[in-house]
Parts: sequence; C-alpha cells; structure tokens
Amino acid sequence: MSRFKAIEEYEAPRADAYRLLPFRFTALDDSSYVLTNIAGEHLVLSNESLRALVRHNLPRGSPEFVELRARHFLQDSVDSVAVDLLALKLRTRYRRLPEFTALHIFVVTLRCEHSCPYCQVSRQTEDVAAFDMTPETADKALDFVFRSPAAAIKIEFQGGEPLLNFGLIRYVVEQAEKRNASEKRDLRFVIATNLALATREILSFCAAHSIDISTSLDGPEDLHNKNRPRPGRNSHQKAVEGIQLAREIVGRERVSALMTTTSKSLDRVRDIIDEYLRLEFPGIFLRPLSPYGFAVKTNAIAAYTTARWLEFYKEGLEYILHLNQVGVRFREFYASVILKKMLTSDESGFVDLVSPAGIGIKALVYNYDGAVYASDESRMLAEMGDYTFRLGSLETDSYEDVMLSDRLLDPIEESMTTSVPMCNECAFEPFCGADPVFHHTAYGDVVGRKPESAFCARNMAIFRYLIAKMRDDSGARRLFLNWANQ
Amino acid sequence: MSIEKKIDVDLSSFNLDAIKRAAYRCSNRFAFDMVIAAQTASCTLIFDDDKSSDFVELAISVFRKELLDQDLRQSIRAETENVRNVILAHAFSLTGLLKDEPVQGD
Repeated sequence: MSRFKAIEEYEAPRADAYRLLPFRFTALDDSSYVLTNIAGEHLVLSNESLRALVRHNLPRGSPEFVELRARHFLQDSVDSVAVDLLALKLRTRYRRLPEFTALHIFVVTLRCEHSCPYCQVSRQTEDVAAFDMTPETADKALDFVFRSPAAAIKIEFQGGEPLLNFGLIRYVVEQAEKRNASEKRDLRFVIATNLALATREILSFCAAHSIDISTSLDGPEDLHNKNRPRPGRNSHQKAVEGIQLAREIVGRERVSALMTTTSKSLDRVRDIIDEYLRLEFPGIFLRPLSPYGFAVKTNAIAAYTTARWLEFYKEGLEYILHLNQVGVRFREFYASVILKKMLTSDESGFVDLVSPAGIGIKALVYNYDGAVYASDESRMLAEMGDYTFRLGSLETDSYEDVMLSDRLLDPIEESMTTSVPMCNECAFEPFCGADPVFHHTAYGDVVGRKPESAFCARNMAIFRYLIAKMRDDSGARRLFLNWANQ
Repeated sequence: MSIEKKIDVDLSSFNLDAIKRAAYRCSNRFAFDMVIAAQTASCTLIFDDDKSSDFVELAISVFRKELLDQDLRQSIRAETENVRNVILAHAFSLTGLLKDEPVQGD
C-alpha cells in the first residue's frame, strides 16, 4: 500500500469537487469579506471569490481553494477528517465554559481620598462603618468563592481605595489561604489601588502572599492629575512613587497599570504611551470610559463619541506598531485579548468579551454591604439607582439562590451571541462578546439593537482594523502573532 | 415629515427572511415597511426628513448589497445544516450533556 494517493487525486478538477462547511462572512471593506468557520478560524476573500465559493464555482487548484480547505471552510473527497477536526476545535473553543466563576471581586470599602470625575463609586467620607466591609460579610463572601468549581480562583480587592481598609484585605487573604489548604485551588490575589496609601508594611504583606498590584496611570503628570484630583494635587507623584516602591518590594512583574480615556486624553495618546514606556511597563490597555456612575453624572461619557475614541485607539496602535518596528517592544493589551481569540484556540479570560456573557459565571462581586452583583459594572449601575443586576445578598441568600436566579440566568440566555439578531450571522462573533450590562445601561435591554450599539461599532471597527492590518502588513502580522501567543 | 423610498423585491429571487434580515442590519439608517403582493415584496424605506439625498442613496445601495449577502448566507445555512449538527453533536459527545435529551422534532 502506498503512503499517499496518486497525483490525480490531488490535482484532478471535478465539477462537484467540494461541499461547504459551516461559516459566516462579514464585509471587511468594499472589495473583500472576512470569513470565520465554526471554530473561529478566519480568512479574507475577495467579493468575487466568496460568491464563487458559495455557488460551487471556485477552481479546485486556486490558492483560495487550498486555503479554504486547509482551514475547514470546505471539504472535498481528498479531505476526510475536516468534520472531526472542526468538532475537536469547537470543543477546544468551549473548553473553559465548565470552569465557572474564577474572578471574585471584594469591594472592601467605598471610601477614597481621590475625587476622580469619571469614578463610578467612590465616597469622600471618614465614616468607616458606613462604607467598609466587615469580617463577617467577608466570611460569607469566602463561602461563595469556594462554592465555585473553578480550579483557578482570583480574588480581587477593589474600592473606593481598598488600602483604606487594608485590615480586611489582610483578613481575607489569610482566611482564604487557610481554606485553600484543603481546597487546593490555584488561588491568586490582586489589589486594584491608586498606591497613594501604600506603605512598606502593606507591600511586604503583598510580597509575602504573592499579591498582584493593579494601579491607575492615566498618562503624564499634567493629564493624570487633571483626571485624578486628590488633596495636594499630587496623584501622579504618589502613583509613580508607589509603582517604584511596589516593584522594589513585591516584584516588577506583579505591578501593572490601567488607564482611562477622558476627553482630555484624546489628543494625547502618544504622550500617554510614552509615559508608560518611561515607567518601563511592557504595554498599555487603551480603554474607553464606561457608561456608569459619575462618568454619566459628570457628562464625561458624552464628552466624546465612539468614533472619536476609535481615532484615539487607532492612533495609539499605529504608534505602538511604529515603536516595535524601531525595536521597542511594547504591547496594546485589548488588541492582544482579541488577537489571542483570532489567532489561537485559547482565550485570555477577559470577561467583557465572551459569550455566554461573563456575568456571574466568570465573575462575581461582593459589595461592602453584602450585596452580590453580577459584575463590577453591575454594582456601578446600582450606584446610579438601577439594581437590575443585584443578584442577592450574602446576609439572606444562598449560593443556589444567587447563581440559579432569573436575574442572572435570563440576561445570560437572552444575550448569547449565537442567537442574537445580527450577531448570529456576524463573522466576528467568535471574537466578540455579549455584555448585557452595557446594553441594558445604554439601551434599556440586555441585547440592544446591534446596528445602533456602541459596543458593536467599537469592537467591529477594531476587528476590521486588526484583520486588515494583518492582511496588508506582514510585519504587523508577525507582531500580532507574537502578542496572541504571550 | 419623512422621506420614503419604494423598492420592489422579486420573491422568486429573494425570500422574506433575507429581506427582513437585510432591513434589520440597516435599521440604524431607516425604518422599514413591507407589503406582499403575489411574487413581489414592496418595501418602503423610511428616512428622517433631515437626511441628505447622498445619505438616502447610500443607504439604498447598502440595503441592496445586504440582500445579496443574506441570500448567500441562506445558501450556506441550507447546505451546511446537517454537517453543522454533526459537528456540534461530535464536539459535545464526551460531555454527557446531551444524554437522554429529546431532539427537536421527536
């Protein structure tokens, strides 16, 4: 028996040479389409080739045919394993679904010494009792944490400024580690802090317990201080000093930073990136304002449109590409999240860009007062008086009450992109997500009409930009492959 | 007042589902109405009266292109229905989730 078939088997043109395998397509630009198969692999075809493909007129020996067969968009008699391979890839794509809630956010206090106009939740008060989580509430939250079947659990401390209630952080870490001695989970901690109150003692505790530090850095000093007012007008100085001290004590790789784009940031993307470079961060997450809380009250959201934010984002990404071309290694993390989905069979676990939505089943929030929310944005919405995604209370509700509640399951089910109009036929669906909290906030229902959705417009523009960039620029493609695999 | 544009679509070339899907995709550009008579779908595209003629013409062009895309999508859906189900069944065959589940149509 030969190890391979006769050459005619591979070359012979056949009138009925192939059958289609399931795929979706969406226009990339005026002359081409993006196609994605059921496992989320993509390729770009000209308008003419797409129509020829669907009408079974695509020449068998053409480069397009070979690529389409290799990526399982069609099957011919030579290829007998396409369906099995697609099934395997599909199963791989959904393999993380049963892992359930991995991220558990403890809002240990709403108090904060900053007064950022875009902040969703913070309070300027000395009244400790009114806005701090108690150890009793934290114990009940830990009961919920360890009810999740997730093998990897991350506990994130948020505020307000969580370091204002550091005693409780210490308590939760020690109690969680105690429970984990028998639970044996991959248990990690992160504190989202402005670092203004970080001391050697606090950071030494973080080092001893491998706690990550996620801080806020909005850009160079003038911009950061405008965005993030505090007494003394020294937020940037405090952040930079805190970053340096945290790196020294906790470790460089454990300290990361996040920025928020305000209207004042829009013309400063290069300055912002340069500041991250100056402080030796390996990348930046260029993210827009969320339509919640004080960002809405202070009209910060209306200060710029999705289109303007996209200009900002693309200018930033072009600058980062240029930096890499001249030998400066630097990443944009939102693009990296998307590229991992586009170019690998893995995903980053980023909860805003998944379907089914990540609310509850990927992340849970335990508020200082014992309320349980479906996501961080859900509790911010509650601060605006909308309690749609308040799933229950640690004081009165069981884990089953919360996780099987209609309040959680209805929006997850209704917003699944596989059944939402327009999403269900969109080529970008494998890279995108549901985000029912955003759509509820902006449009009054958890699905929203996608032609009018800012979420849809923003993400589709980024998907198109990244795919076109990879098609037109081999250097960018190599770089993006590198980002996807980090 | 609003601007109304009429487009007749031959139902022997495009089916109703494709027309509705195309109209939905354009729902940020115009409101939509449709009357069926024999083999023709008489579509009315309704624009706000502040829209320019360029905007209206572009929207009609987008709607027509979208109709063609929807027609192609239907061909793909129809041809791949069986293999889609095989792939999904195969993908979840080891999970135990579908055991004893009734199948649609049973």
